[in-house]
Amino acid sequence: MGSILSAEWYKLRKSKVVPIIFAGPMIGLFIGLSMNSNNILSDAEINEWYISLISMNLLYALLFLPLISGVFASLICRYEHQSGGWKQLLALPVTRGKVFVAKYALIMLLVLVMQILYLCSIYAVGLLKGYSDPFPMEIVWKSIFGGWLATLPLVALQLWLSIMFKSFAAPFAVNVVFTLPSILAVNSARFGPYYPWGQPFLMMNIGGNTGDVFFVPWEQLLTVVGGGFVLFFLGGYLYFQRKAV
Amino acid sequence: MIGKLLTSDFLKIKRKGLWFLTALGPIGVVAMQMVNYGLRKDYLLEQSEDDWGYYLLNVHSFTPLAIVLGIAILTSFMASIENETNAWKQLIALPVSKLTVYLSKFTVLAILLFMSSTILMLMTMAYGVFLDLGDSIPYAELAKFAYYPYFASLPILALQLWIASVCQNQGIPITVGIFGVIFAYSSYVLPDWMIWKWPSLMNHWDEPVINVMLGVGIGILLYIIGMIDFARRDVK
Repeated sequence: MGSILSAEWYKLRKSKVVPIIFAGPMIGLFIGLSMNSNNILSDAEINEWYISLISMNLLYALLFLPLISGVFASLICRYEHQSGGWKQLLALPVTRGKVFVAKYALIMLLVLVMQILYLCSIYAVGLLKGYSDPFPMEIVWKSIFGGWLATLPLVALQLWLSIMFKSFAAPFAVNVVFTLPSILAVNSARFGPYYPWGQPFLMMNIGGNTGDVFFVPWEQLLTVVGGGFVLFFLGGYLYFQRKAV
Repeated sequence: MIGKLLTSDFLKIKRKGLWFLTALGPIGVVAMQMVNYGLRKDYLLEQSEDDWGYYLLNVHSFTPLAIVLGIAILTSFMASIENETNAWKQLIALPVSKLTVYLSKFTVLAILLFMSSTILMLMTMAYGVFLDLGDSIPYAELAKFAYYPYFASLPILALQLWIASVCQNQGIPITVGIFGVIFAYSSYVLPDWMIWKWPSLMNHWDEPVINVMLGVGIGILLYIIGMIDFARRDVK
C-alpha cells in the first residue's frame, strides 16, 4: 500500500498539482481582502474575525471547495488515461482495490493540505486588516476540519467519474450540475440538510448549530455525509473492479 | 475552407454530450427558478410591483455563473476531443491553416453558446407565462437578459479557449474556470475592468450596453491574441 501511495505521489508531483492547491488560499485572500466588511455589522459587538470568516467561508465552501475537489480527482487519473496508463498500472502486482483506495486517500490528503493553507489565508487576512481580537482557533478548526469531512462523499463520486471518463470536462460538468443548485439548497431549512453538495458550506458555516462538535447535528453528518460516502465510494470501487482497461 | 472545417468540428462534437450540455445550462438556470417560485411563489410576488422584472432578475442571478462554468466545460471538451487521441497533429497536417482551425473551434463554441442563450430566452418566457406574471410580456427585456450576457462573456470564451487549447493538462483551464465562477459570484465587489464581472451586466455607469460593447471589443482582441499564440506554438 505504501509503495502505491508513493508511486501515485510521484505521478502527481509533475501534474501541476501544487499551483492548484495554492488556488485555495489565493481565493481565500481574494474574498477576504476584496469584501467590504466595514458596512456590515460594524457596530455589532462581536469578534472581528467572525465577520471575515462568515463571508470568506460562504464563497469558499459553497462553490470553490466542491468544484476544486473534483479537479484533484481528475488530475490523479490523468496519467492513467494517457496512452494506456491503466494497463501499465494494473499489470503491476497491485490489486485494483488498493489502487482505488490509494488514489482516494491521496486526493483527501490534498484537500486537507488545501484546507490548512486556507486556514493560513484566513489568518493572513486578519493580520493584513489589523484585527486585534483573539483568533477563534477552536471555531476555525471545527470549520476547516468539518469542510474537509464534507468533501468525503463528493471526492468519492468525482473519483468514480474521473476513472470512467477520459476528459476533464465530463466529471467537471457533473460536478457543476450538482454544485450550483446548492446555492438555493442551503437557503432552505427543509432540503438543505439532505443535499450532499451543500454540506461543505453547512459544515464550514460558523453561524450554524454550536451545540455539537461540528456545525451540523451528528445525525445529519452520519446520514448525509457518511451515507453519501458509503454509496459513492462503493459505487466507484465496484465500478473500477469491473472496468475494462 | 472554413465551411468544411466547421462541418468537421460539428461532426466531432456529435454524441459527446456537448449539445446536451448546451441545452442543460439554460434549462438548469430556469429550473432553479422553478424550484424557487414553486416553493415560495407568494412571498416572491410580494417582493416587487413589477413581477416580470423581479422574475427576470432572479433568473439573471444564476445566468453569469452558468455561462462562466458552461464556457469552461465546453472549451475544455473541445480541446479534449483533439488532445485525447493526439488529433491536433493530424488536424494540422491537413491542408488547412492553424488560424482557420482555431477560428472554426471558436465559431462552433460561439454558436453553441448562442443556442444556449436562445433556449434561455424561450424557457424564461415559457415559465414566466406559466407563472402568470402579467399580461404584458416584456419581450425586449427577455431578449436583453438572454443576449447581453452572451456578448459580455465573449472575452471569457476567448480566454478559456486559448488556455484550453495550449495546455496539455486540462486541469489548468478548469481551475481558471473555477476562479472565474468565484469572480462572477462576487461581481459586486469586482472592479469594472475584470472580464468576469461583465456577464452580470453590472457596471459603474449602470449601462448594461457598455458591457456588451466591451465584451465584443475585448473578446475580439483576446481571440486574436489566443489565435496568434496558438499558431506560433509547436503541436505536441
